Amino acid sequence: MAPVLLLWLAVCLSGTWAVDRGNFKTCDQSAFCKRQRALKPGQSPYRALLETLELTNTRLTLQLINDNNKVRLLLELYRLQGNMTRVKINELKPLKPRYEVPDVLIQEPPTEPMSLLSQDENGVVLSLGAESQRVIVSARPFRLDIMEGREVLMSVNSRGLLAFEHLRMRKDTFSYKVTSTVASVWDNIKWVFSSQADPEAEKKEEADPANQAEEAVNEEEEKVEDGMWEETFKSHSDSKPNGPSAVSLDFSLPGVEHVYGIPEHADTLKLKTTDGGDPYRLYNLDVFQYELYNPMALYGAVPVMLAHNAQRTTGIFWLNAAETWVDISSNTAGKTVFGKMLDYVQGSSETPQTDVRWISESGIIDVFVMLGPKPQDVFSQYASLTGTQAFPPLSALAYHQCRWNYNDQEDVQAVDAGFDQHDIPYDFIWLDIEHTDGKRYFTWDPHKFATPRDMLQGIMDKKRKMVAIVDPHIKVDSNYKIHNEIRSRGYYIKNKDGGDYEGWCWPGNAGYPDFTNPEMRAWWASMFAYDQYEGSMENLYTWNDMNEPSVFNGPEVTMHKDAVHGAWEHRDLHNLYGFYVQMATAEGLVQRSGGVERPFVLTRAFFAGSQRYGAVWTGDNAAEWDHLKISIPMCLSLGLVGVSFCGADVGGFFKTPSSELLVRWYQTGAYQPFFRAHAHLDTPRREPWLFGPENTALIREAVRQRYALLPYWYQLFYHAYRTGHPVMRPLWVEYPQDTATFAMDDQFLIGRDLLVHPVTEEGARGITAYLPGKGEVWFDVHTFQKHNGAQNLYVPVTMSSIPVYQRGGSIIPRKIRVRRSSTCMEHDPYTLYVALSPQRTAEGELYIDDGHTFNFNKKEFIHRRLSFANNVLSSINLAPDAQFSTQSWIERILILGASKPSKVTLKTADGQESQLEFDFDASMSVLTLRKPGMNAGADWTVVLQ
Amino acid sequence: MRRHIIMAVVFWSVCVDSRKIRGISLSYKRFYRERKSFLCIDGSKMIPFEQVNDDYCDCEDGSDEPGTAACPGGRFYCSNLGFRPHYIPSSRVNDGICDCCDASDEYNSHAHCQNSCRNLGQRERADVEGQMRTLDEGLRLKQQLIEEGVLLWREKQAQLRDLQQVAEDLQIKLEEHRRRKHEADRLKEQTLKAGDRGHRHQNRTVTSIFQILDSNKDGRITVNEVQAKVAFIQDEERSLSEDEAVALLGGGHEMDLSMFQLTLWDSLRAGDSVKIKGTYGVPASLADEDPNIEAAERDAVREDTDLKKVEEAYETVNMEISDLRNKLTIDYGTDREFLFLNSQCYQLKVYEYTYTLCPFNQVTQKSAVGTEVSLGKWGTWAGTPENQYSRMRYESGEPCWQGPTRNTMVTLTCGTETALRSVKEPSKCQYIVDFQTPVACQPVLKQQGIHSEL
Repeated sequence: MAPVLLLWLAVCLSGTWAVDRGNFKTCDQSAFCKRQRALKPGQSPYRALLETLELTNTRLTLQLINDNNKVRLLLELYRLQGNMTRVKINELKPLKPRYEVPDVLIQEPPTEPMSLLSQDENGVVLSLGAESQRVIVSARPFRLDIMEGREVLMSVNSRGLLAFEHLRMRKDTFSYKVTSTVASVWDNIKWVFSSQADPEAEKKEEADPANQAEEAVNEEEEKVEDGMWEETFKSHSDSKPNGPSAVSLDFSLPGVEHVYGIPEHADTLKLKTTDGGDPYRLYNLDVFQYELYNPMALYGAVPVMLAHNAQRTTGIFWLNAAETWVDISSNTAGKTVFGKMLDYVQGSSETPQTDVRWISESGIIDVFVMLGPKPQDVFSQYASLTGTQAFPPLSALAYHQCRWNYNDQEDVQAVDAGFDQHDIPYDFIWLDIEHTDGKRYFTWDPHKFATPRDMLQGIMDKKRKMVAIVDPHIKVDSNYKIHNEIRSRGYYIKNKDGGDYEGWCWPGNAGYPDFTNPEMRAWWASMFAYDQYEGSMENLYTWNDMNEPSVFNGPEVTMHKDAVHGAWEHRDLHNLYGFYVQMATAEGLVQRSGGVERPFVLTRAFFAGSQRYGAVWTGDNAAEWDHLKISIPMCLSLGLVGVSFCGADVGGFFKTPSSELLVRWYQTGAYQPFFRAHAHLDTPRREPWLFGPENTALIREAVRQRYALLPYWYQLFYHAYRTGHPVMRPLWVEYPQDTATFAMDDQFLIGRDLLVHPVTEEGARGITAYLPGKGEVWFDVHTFQKHNGAQNLYVPVTMSSIPVYQRGGSIIPRKIRVRRSSTCMEHDPYTLYVALSPQRTAEGELYIDDGHTFNFNKKEFIHRRLSFANNVLSSINLAPDAQFSTQSWIERILILGASKPSKVTLKTADGQESQLEFDFDASMSVLTLRKPGMNAGADWTVVLQ
Repeated sequence: MRRHIIMAVVFWSVCVDSRKIRGISLSYKRFYRERKSFLCIDGSKMIPFEQVNDDYCDCEDGSDEPGTAACPGGRFYCSNLGFRPHYIPSSRVNDGICDCCDASDEYNSHAHCQNSCRNLGQRERADVEGQMRTLDEGLRLKQQLIEEGVLLWREKQAQLRDLQQVAEDLQIKLEEHRRRKHEADRLKEQTLKAGDRGHRHQNRTVTSIFQILDSNKDGRITVNEVQAKVAFIQDEERSLSEDEAVALLGGGHEMDLSMFQLTLWDSLRAGDSVKIKGTYGVPASLADEDPNIEAAERDAVREDTDLKKVEEAYETVNMEISDLRNKLTIDYGTDREFLFLNSQCYQLKVYEYTYTLCPFNQVTQKSAVGTEVSLGKWGTWAGTPENQYSRMRYESGEPCWQGPTRNTMVTLTCGTETALRSVKEPSKCQYIVDFQTPVACQPVLKQQGIHSEL
């Protein structure tokens, strides 16, 4: 214990920086944010130079000029396929290239033609395709308005907050001093644009008195003091060799009162206005013991915001990987419901409007405006840009048992046996950092994990799997192969002086591989080959932690912004680092199997597009009721921006949960996408059977409910992989016109068909679930009791209660023979839960494949539509060109909300007919068809008479 | 031929039987007699007999599917001939993992299970035999240790009695010494008082001074004699005048001892005007040199030292007694079989750490660098209600950084040697020690062992 203790002490002494907020920057402490935020809405200094407009079939370009400093920008506007508009703004002639985020878009987004509708000296009107959508480009001041019919969907720079800090020479450098007079400065600026004939600018220059230039210079002199060329925070200084480079833009959303997304924040689903406080911050950080309900940055960043009202859902994707702040304000914020009503009655109400402003430290402005109109359209639009959720191995959707740390092989074996002894299923057991030889990833502790392959074989014999952690900080140790290779190949990130960047992390002094380098990523991926990663086997998967990156002795516990990745500063791409780490790791797992097996990689840091590489979790939470509650909005927010495979540490990472909290967390986690229990090293053991037989039984039941539902989860993930639609959804996504659902984040949907309202209050005696949908019905999945939609339903609860409802009109497949791991259930039969709508119809799907390979891409799967109408339930092939055979069959069909038939007939594809036995429970109107027995992949119909 | 038919019939019936009763123990066979229908064992439902083990769960209690995985919560009976039979959850039937050593649970799966019951049985029998031998040996050793314990206990008791005797003796001695010291102090006090006011003391002093002054030893002090021996304190060089001498002699020219005592003696004793030539201070200081006083003080000091020694000894003995009593109040088991562990220590090295268990005292961990950390001090027995002596708890060790204090649970297991078998730290700063000793061997365990093993 002692060395660990010492290390932990050392870590925590540094880690304690992070305990209080003071160790992370506020907007005021982040020079560019302070600078940009000081700009108030008003007349924009930017003007569109309409004479520079060029319109090809698919691309519009136009120069913008800042009348204060004469710097010109180039605006590019694209109409993208799928009802999106891309707005790109860069300096026309930057001193050196500015960073444009690579690798996040899955392709150069395909464009659609635009046409010029009208043009005059005030601006131009462009048609955006067929849907009567137009973009109005106003010249003076520059602004964009995206219209549909007479309705403004979104305005850009309507508040005049477009700002683009052009790259410039530093004043105190020799080259600057040579020309350091007011006049020569002006010449200099002119020189920058000298290649561009610009009569307007010339005129302007003549017209303007010389003092304007002087003003600009004075302004700059002031700004120099604001940390343009150097910035310090605590004891860390940021050298900023490129000077100021921030970009900012505002968006106005008329008619919008609800905006969502921009994870990761420990905050409500509905984003709050940021007036009077800090903006939401996007800057991947290892925040020790994070606080809830505030806009502070966390481990990951997805710069995507959704805006929703009863008529339309839209989205903004701000493709920038630098530190970013998002301000939100609203003209209705702070108004009471009564106040709003008064406005309405008096007719004095202005249209509600939400204004959003994005500020990034460097890079360019590259915005994708997703115009919906339905929530599902926005999901598809965003998925067409950054890809969809990776389709995980089925087992990854099952239960994961983790702890920092399972001490040795014996411990692993004992925990594994404990699950069997207590008849609780699990699929993955996890090893945290202590499994390594001195925090050297890809190695094993020679005493505690002396024979990893024996251990992995033992787990494999139970059809289970393991995850071992591989973090991106590499111990600086000349006896460590990985370090030597990275160093000799020059793959480490460099510090500002050109040496290998080094920082403190778990192993002590560590280097950080430059994952932005494709060669580095390829090499890293090759390290997962079975002959490279000693002791690994095909049932060993990977966990990437600390990939913000976490640098214990760095500014804000992360990397210095002036560290260097080839041509770019860390500042430009910070939020991409974790994305690349997971990308390279997932690629390694794919390659080791020759491209056959699906990878499973969990990451803590993420960016837009990370969904393509695996799962994320909400980091180091705590064993507190509020942390249990926040897991819902945190994962919902991630789902909205494409990251479906999300979970929170069940039980809470820091601190020790009461047995009540632990049970409630299992019950909640069992209905969230990534279901993993985890615990801090300092906490007492908490395997599910350590809290008395009653709690063991409660946890067992929660986990079993998860396993029974795995076919549904798997089908939803297949759907997420195909479409990008979230698996775990806020209610408004499916009930977009029901305003009661817009801010709801204590309950959620899984797919369309299951509504979950977990119990997250200590000592709860009851919950109030909102069942949406006027004219719809919902069935309690445990009792099959029917409830009407569009009501708040009070439900008394006991410790065993997990309030879950199936939508009337849906069909959900389950495998109710829960076994010790999901793989053991592979060939088991299905039970279909047909919940009838008031119209006595229902629809569902069944997706089956081998559960672990990419062969589904070769059309090796079964995808069927199950449909009930007119008293006929049928299974229809949704993928006639696909081929897969399964041993699984249909063992039982439950029809909820049914009436008693006199006869039930099964017709199979070969024309055979047989009578089915059935049982009717009149009290709950549940019809159970006994053992129809057809193969799950076959065509069949069941007729009720 | 007939024989063949009989064989075939027997074979057939065995087959039918085995299909129908798959997963059932003999004792449950009566519920599954082939009839037209089957009543779920909980009585909840009657189903056609063909639906028993037909891979569909009809009974709430799972009793219709003892041989398949169809019923959640059901159980499957492995007969495991050659080994011991047992139940597995029915969810483990045909899950591709061999659970029953007779492979009976995987009758319809891809798993290739070998019948390993014979081997397991052999191995287990060997294990059980080994355990039995260990147990026998352990119990024999335990008996010895119990007997030794009895002796040890007696010895300790005797030791206690001896100590108590010593204490009693010491107490008597102590009282005697206290009395003597008291007496000596009283004497000293008296002697000192006597030198001050007491007659004997005073007389002796007066006489000696008188004799000093009475130069010609005629029993009288004359003016000349006074002038020769007495001087003013302020001016020793100046001789007394005759008048002054006369005044000191009380107005006469000579005086005897009794007159001296009333006159000059007082002046000398007051010590503020005259003194005997060649001396300092008052004549009373001569008392120090008084052999009686010296003796009295010497006596008092000696008595005091002696008393302290005795007191110390008494305290030490009492501490030993309370120590021993404390040790004797610890619960050493029904037969005081754990007594011998007291004052012993056992060590085990695990990786870079050396763990030391001193039963009924403490557990410590010493790292390779040499720093020693307390993992807990003796707390209580913490075993099961059936056998509270199966575990010991050591508490309040060194506090963990940002955490509770370290503590250790020592599990006692039966073995022929007394030694530490393993030390684990399942949660940080919570240690579990496996401690093997013959005294943990339980004869009841032997019976239970046989019962549960076979």
